Amino acid sequence: MENSMDETTFQSLPDAVAKRWPGQVQVNLDVRRSTCLLTCDSRLLPDICEWVCSTSGFRFATLVVEEEPAQWLLRYVFYGRSGIVQLHILLRTAKENVAIPSISGIVHAADWHERETEDLFGIIFTGHPRLGDFVLHEEWPEDVKPMRSAFDAHLPYRRRELDPEWRPHSIVQSPGAFMMPIGPVYSDVAESAHFLLETVGEDVIRTIPRFFYKYRGVEKISEGLPVEQVILLSERFSGTSAFAHSLAFCQAVEDIAGVDTPLRAKALRIVLAELERLRHHIAAIAGICGSTALSVATSQAGILEEEILRLTGSFTGHRYLFGLNRPGGLTRDFNNSTCLQVADDAARLIERLFKLNDMLRFTSSFLDRIEEVGIVSREQAIAYGLVGPIARASGLARDLRKALPYCGYETVAFDVPVETGGDGYARLRVLFHEAEQSARIIRKMAATLPDGEIAGPFEYAAGGALGWVEAPRGAAFHWVRITESGTVGRYRLTSPSFINWHGFHLAAEDFAFQDFPIIMATFGLSNAESDR
Amino acid sequence: MFETNSLFILFLLLCGIGAAVSAVTPGRRNPTVLSWIASASAIAILLASGDTLFFGHPFQLRLWDLFSFGPLALRMDRLSALFVFVTALVYLPVSIYSAAYMKEYLGRYSLRSFGIYYHLLFASIVLLLVAADVVTFLFCWELMSILSYLLVNYKHEDEYNTQAGYLMLAMSEAGTIAAALALLLLAGTSGKLDFASLKAASTGMSEPVRWAVFLLSFFGFGVKVGLVPSNIWLPRAHPAATGNVSALLSGVILNLGLYGILRVNADMLPLNQVAPGIIVLIVGTISALVGILYATTENDMKKMLAHSSIENMGIMTAGLGAGFVFMTSGHPVLAGIAFTAALYHMTNHALYKALLFLGVGAVDASIGHRDMDRLGGLIKVMPWTAFFVLVGALCIAALPPFNGFVSEWLTLQTMLRSAVLSSKAVKIVFALCGAALALTAALAVTCFVKAFAMSFLGVSRSQSAKTAIEVKPFMRVPMGMLALCCLLLGILPTYVIPVLDEAITPLTHESVSNALVPPFFTITQGDAKFSDAFIGEFHDLGAQTGRGLLPGRGLVVLHQGTEKNPVVFAMSTSYSFVVLVLLLGGAFVVVRRVTKERTVSRRPAWDGGLRRLMPEMTYTATGFSNPVRVIFEAVFRPSTFDDRKETIAGHFRMAIKNGREQVHIVDRSVFLPIVKAIQWAASLLGRMHTGSVNIYAAYVLISLFIVLMIQGLMR
Amino acid sequence: MTKWVLKGLKTGIVTTAYPDRDEAAPGVSPGLPGSGLAFDEESSSDAERCPTQAFIRDGQRLWVDYRRCVHCFRCAPGRQGSTQWQGGYEWAGRLSDARNKGPELGEVFQTSLHIRVVDAGACGACLSEIEQLNKPYYNIHRLGFFITPTPRDADVLLVAGPVTDHMRMTLKKVYEAMPTPKKVVAVGACALSGGVFGPSFISGAGVSDIIPVDVAVPGCPPPPLALIHGLLVMVDRKPSASWLSTTPVSGGKEDV
Repeated sequence: MENSMDETTFQSLPDAVAKRWPGQVQVNLDVRRSTCLLTCDSRLLPDICEWVCSTSGFRFATLVVEEEPAQWLLRYVFYGRSGIVQLHILLRTAKENVAIPSISGIVHAADWHERETEDLFGIIFTGHPRLGDFVLHEEWPEDVKPMRSAFDAHLPYRRRELDPEWRPHSIVQSPGAFMMPIGPVYSDVAESAHFLLETVGEDVIRTIPRFFYKYRGVEKISEGLPVEQVILLSERFSGTSAFAHSLAFCQAVEDIAGVDTPLRAKALRIVLAELERLRHHIAAIAGICGSTALSVATSQAGILEEEILRLTGSFTGHRYLFGLNRPGGLTRDFNNSTCLQVADDAARLIERLFKLNDMLRFTSSFLDRIEEVGIVSREQAIAYGLVGPIARASGLARDLRKALPYCGYETVAFDVPVETGGDGYARLRVLFHEAEQSARIIRKMAATLPDGEIAGPFEYAAGGALGWVEAPRGAAFHWVRITESGTVGRYRLTSPSFINWHGFHLAAEDFAFQDFPIIMATFGLSNAESDR
Repeated sequence: MFETNSLFILFLLLCGIGAAVSAVTPGRRNPTVLSWIASASAIAILLASGDTLFFGHPFQLRLWDLFSFGPLALRMDRLSALFVFVTALVYLPVSIYSAAYMKEYLGRYSLRSFGIYYHLLFASIVLLLVAADVVTFLFCWELMSILSYLLVNYKHEDEYNTQAGYLMLAMSEAGTIAAALALLLLAGTSGKLDFASLKAASTGMSEPVRWAVFLLSFFGFGVKVGLVPSNIWLPRAHPAATGNVSALLSGVILNLGLYGILRVNADMLPLNQVAPGIIVLIVGTISALVGILYATTENDMKKMLAHSSIENMGIMTAGLGAGFVFMTSGHPVLAGIAFTAALYHMTNHALYKALLFLGVGAVDASIGHRDMDRLGGLIKVMPWTAFFVLVGALCIAALPPFNGFVSEWLTLQTMLRSAVLSSKAVKIVFALCGAALALTAALAVTCFVKAFAMSFLGVSRSQSAKTAIEVKPFMRVPMGMLALCCLLLGILPTYVIPVLDEAITPLTHESVSNALVPPFFTITQGDAKFSDAFIGEFHDLGAQTGRGLLPGRGLVVLHQGTEKNPVVFAMSTSYSFVVLVLLLGGAFVVVRRVTKERTVSRRPAWDGGLRRLMPEMTYTATGFSNPVRVIFEAVFRPSTFDDRKETIAGHFRMAIKNGREQVHIVDRSVFLPIVKAIQWAASLLGRMHTGSVNIYAAYVLISLFIVLMIQGLMR
Repeated sequence: MTKWVLKGLKTGIVTTAYPDRDEAAPGVSPGLPGSGLAFDEESSSDAERCPTQAFIRDGQRLWVDYRRCVHCFRCAPGRQGSTQWQGGYEWAGRLSDARNKGPELGEVFQTSLHIRVVDAGACGACLSEIEQLNKPYYNIHRLGFFITPTPRDADVLLVAGPVTDHMRMTLKKVYEAMPTPKKVVAVGACALSGGVFGPSFISGAGVSDIIPVDVAVPGCPPPPLALIHGLLVMVDRKPSASWLSTTPVSGGKEDV
C-alpha cells in the first residue's frame, strides 16, 4: 500500500507525515533513542493510529497520561523494530470538556488502557462502548478520580456503601442463561480475581472478568517518592518477576540520565534475568500439570522449581532476586566461578526438565486436556496485541530481546521458539523451549563475563523516558518521568499480564466449564502484575 | 351402613343439585357452594364404591330395555369400583381446594358455568365407569369428553387455551370414534349391546376381527390415555386448564382410557396372542421415555407435569402390556402381578399427580406465573406448599417410603420376570423395555429434583418470587390429605395389594395375594399352600422381629423361584419406614445431646467472597437440564440449535442471543409427515383442477364409462 | 500410567527433615538482619537507609521490627550496609491481640489442621512460597496440615497481602465464614505492616486492622520453612520466636 512504513526510514518520516497531514502534525526525531514524536490534535488521532498500525511492525505499547497544570498530556506509545524503535503520538488537551476519540476500534489493544484512564483520571474517550466499572469497584463514588494530582494518595480508608442496584454487565441474552461466579477467593491457593462465566449450562459462552481486587495504586503512590523508594515498588508489585520489572525501571532512569551501564553489569543482568525466566517457566509448567491433576508430573516440576529457587537463593541471597537492581548497575557483584557453577546447575535442571517433557508428550490423558483447548488464533493475538509465550504460541514471533534489544541482548545468540497451534499444548511447548534457551543464554554469558565494575557512578537527571524488558510473561513497558528535585513525577506501568488478561476471554469462551482452570493455568498470568 | 344403591342414587342427586345450585348462585359464593356439594357427593360415592371394592357388595342397576338391543344397565364390579374409588379420592381434595382457588377467577370468567361443568363431569365419569352397556358407555364418554373440553377451554380469552382445547377435542373425538367402532364390532357379533352379552359372544370371533377390535380399542382409548403417537394434545391441554381441573385431568380422566383398554381387552374379549401384548408394552415404554425426556427439559411447571403424566401413563401401559403377554403365555399369576403393579401405579399416580398439580396451582395463584426460571426461594415464603410439593416430588421420583416406590418397583420386577417366557424375541423385547423404564425412572428423579430445587430452593430470581405469600388453609388442607394418602399407600402395601388383587382376579382367574403378600406372620410349617423351603426363608427375612409390630402381612414378596431359594424378591416399606423414623429420630436426639454445649452460628452461604450473590449467579432450570438436552439431542433435534445472533462492534461483542426452537418428536416423526403426505396428495389432485371445462367434461365421460364397465362386468 | 508411578518411586524422597532436624541446604532462606546490636555510626546510617523504617533505637541498641523488613538488603554487608545478617528461618511470633477471645485450638489440631489461604493483595512471591508447601520438598501433609478449598472446613486462615481496599470485605467474609475455633496467620511484610505499599488510599497497613491476627510470619517473602514454623507455632508444636517480646516494637512511625 502506498506510503507504507516499510519504505519509510527514520529520516524520511517527517516528509511522509507532512505529505499526509500537511501542517497538522508536528514531527520531532530523537535520534539517540530512535524515537519519533508526533504531536497532533485529538481529531487526527484515529487517522494517525490507523496509519501507524496498518504498517507492518508497529505495535501498541502503552498509553501514558500525565497531568500538567492546565492540560492533559496523552502519550500513545508504539514500538517497532530497529530503525524506528519508538513512535509516540502526543496529544495535549485542555482540562475542560475533554473528548478524545477512542482508538479501541482500530487498535483493540488500547481498550483496557482507555478504560483504566477513564476510571482513574476521568478522561472520556468518545466512541468506546464500555467505559466505567473497571479499576475501581462499584462502591467507589463516580466523581472520585485517584490519579488526579488533587487527590491525596495517603487518604485513610473511608467506609463506602455498596450500590444495591449494581448488576454486572451481561452480554448473553438467551433464555435461561445465567452467570457462574468464580472467585474472588478460589478453592485453591490462587490469586484473587473474579470471573462471571455466562453460560446456558454446558459451555462457557462469555467470560466477564473482574480484576483489580489487588490494585495497590503503585502508579499513584510512587509520585513524589525518591527513585530509591520507587525501585522497591517496581520490584515488589509483582514478586515473581521482580528482577525484570526493576530492570525496566532502572533502564528508564538510566536512559533519562543518559548513562550506559558497565558491560559486566549488563552481562550479569542478563544472567539474572534469564534465571528468573527459567524459574517462572518451571513454575508455569508445574501449574499446568497441577491444573490437569497429573500429580506425579506436578511433583516433578515442583521439585525442579524448589531447586531453582534454592539456586537463586544461594546465588544472590534472595530466592526471588529482590534487591539486585539499581540505576547504573547492580547492587552487588558475583564471583565468576560461582556464575559458571550456576550455569552448570541450570543446565542440569534443564536436562531433568526435558526428561519430564518426554514423559508428558506421550501421556494422552494429559494431552487430551490441553490440546485443542483454549485456542487463540494469530489474528486475535495481533488484534489484542498479546505478548509473551502466549503470543509466541499463536504464531507471533514477538520478543523484545530480539525486536528491541536492550541490556546487551544483541550480542547473545539464542532462538525464540514459536508455535502456531495457539492451544494450551502449544503454550506448554513454548515454555519448555524457552526455558532451554534461557539456560543456554546463562551458560554463554557465564562463560564470557567481562571484567569491570558492577555499577557506574550515577547522577539523576530530570526528564521522561520509556524502559522496556521482556519479562518472563511477556513485554513490559515502564514510562518514568523524573522531576527536577529527583523524585518520580509519573510512573506508568504496563505489565505483560495486563496486556494478556485482556485477551484471556478469547481462549476461555466456547469451552466447557471444566476446561476453564486449565486454560487459566496454560496462560500462566499474574493478577498482581496486572492489577499493580 | 347405607346400601350401595342408595348411596349411588344420593351421589347422582347431589351432582344434579350441585349443577342446578351453581347455575343460580351468585358468582361470589359459587366456589364455596361448589366445594361443599362436590365434597358431599365425593364422600357419597367414596362410600358406595368402597363398599363394593372392599367388601364385595355388588351394585347393579337395570335402567330400561332398548328395543331388541338388550338392557341398558349399570353395574359396578370390583374393577369399576377401584376406578370410581380413585376418582372420588381425587375429587374430594380438589373440591375442597376449589373453594379458595376459584375465587381468583371471579369477575373474569363465569363461575356458574364452571360449577355446572364440574358437577356434571363428576357424574359423567362415574356413570361411564359403571356403565354396563355400549350405549350408556359411549353416551357418558362423549359427555365426559365434551365437559372436559369445556373445562379446558374455560379461560377462553387466551388464544393458546382455545387452540389447546380444540386440539384436545378433535383428537378425543377421533379416539372415541375408534373405540366406538371397536365396541360396535363386538356388538355386531353378539347382536346385543350390553357388556355381559358381548363377553359371552366373544369366544367365537375370527382372527382379523379380534385384531381389529384390539387395534381400534387400544389406539382409540390410547388417545385418552396419552400414548404415543396421540399424546400431542396433552402437554397443551393440561396446562391450559385451571389448577384444580388440571389435577382432575391428570389424575382421573387419563385413567378412563386405561379402564377402557382393560375392559375391552382383558374382560370382554380377552387376548389370545402374544403379539398385541408386545405392542402395548412397546408403545407404553416409548411413551414413558418420550414423556420424561420432554418433562426434564421443560421450564413451565404445568407443562412439565403434563409430560410427566405421559410418562406415568406409559409405565402403566407397559405394565398392562407385560400382563397381557404373561396372560397369553400361560402365566396367569405373573399376569396378575403385572396388572396389580399397573393398577397400583394408577392409584398412586392419581394421588401424587393431583397433589403436585394442586401445589403448582397454589404457586401460580400466589405468584402469577409458573416459569421455573423466575421462581426460587419459595420455601422461605411458602413452607407448607413447599413441603407438600416435596412429598409429591418424592413420590413421583419413586423414593421410599412413599407410594411411587412400591408401584414402580413392582413394575420393574415384573419386567425381570420375563425369564420364564419361552420365546427369545419376547424376552429381548422385555429386556429392552425394562432397561428403558429404568432409564425413565432415573430421568424422573432428575426432572423432579430440578423442579423442586429451582422453584423452592435457592435464591429468589424475581421480585414476584420474593414477595409471595403462603396460600390459605383451605388450599393447604387438601394437599395435606393427598400427601397423607400417598404416605399411607406407600407404607401399607400389604393392605392395598389384596384389594387390587380382588379387582383383577376376574380377569386372570388366579389370585396373586399369596404370591405377593403371603401371610408372613401367621403362616406355620406344614401349610399345604407353601413349600417348606419358602417358609424357611421367612425366618431369614425376619418374620420373628416384625410380628405384632408391623401391620398387615408384613412383606411384599414374590416367590416361585428355584426350589432352594423360592423367594425372588422381598421388600417391606413398612419396615423401612419404621427403621427410617427410628434412625432419623435417633440421629436427631444424639446430635442434640452432643452439641448441647457447642455454639451454633448462622452465616450466609459461602459464595467465594462475592460482594453480593445475585439471582443471576444461580443455576437456572434451563442450565440444570442442559446436559439432558445435549445427550438426547437426537430426540430433541432443536431446529435452530445455538442460533447465535451476535452484535459486534469492532472487537467488542455487545450481545449474544441464542435462540432455540424445537418441534416435539412425535409431531416431527408422525404428524408432520402425515400432513406433508396429505398436502402432497392434495397438490397432486390439485393438478386435476386445470380450469378447462373440456377436461372436466372428459372426467365426467370417463367416470361414466368406468361405471358402465363395472356394471357390465358385475352382471 | 505405570511410567509415572515408576518415575515417582525412582525419584525417592526429597522432603526436608524439618522440624525434626534443622534444614541446612543453601538457598532455603534469605535471612534477616540481626536485631539488638550495638548502635554506632555505621548502623545509624543503616537505620536511616531503611525504606520502611524497620530500625528502632532503644538506648544503646538498635532493634529491628521484623514486621517491616522487606528484604531490600540495603543494610546488609556486601551491599551498602554493615548490619550483621543472620540466617535461619524460625521467625514466626505469636501476637497477643485483645480481640482474640475465641476458644483456643485444642491438642487434636496439632496433627490435623486445615488451612484456608487468602490472597489479600499479595505480590505473588508470598503465594509462590505458600504453593511450595504442598510440593515434595516441604510437603506439609506429613505434618498433618492440609489446605482446604472452603473456609467452612478451615481452622486457620493464612493471609498474605496488605489488604487492598477491594479485598477488605472479602477477607472479612472469609473470616466470618469460618467456624470457631479459628485462628489467623499473617505472612509477609505486607500482611504485617503494609510492606512497601501501605497504608494508602487503596491499600491497608496489614491484616490486623481488619481481623485479629494470632501468629505473624515476617519476611518478604517468608521462605517455606518459615511458613512451616509459623504453622507449628500456631498449634504449639514449636515455641514462638522471641523478637516480638524482646524488641520494643512500636507503632512504627518512630525512628532513630
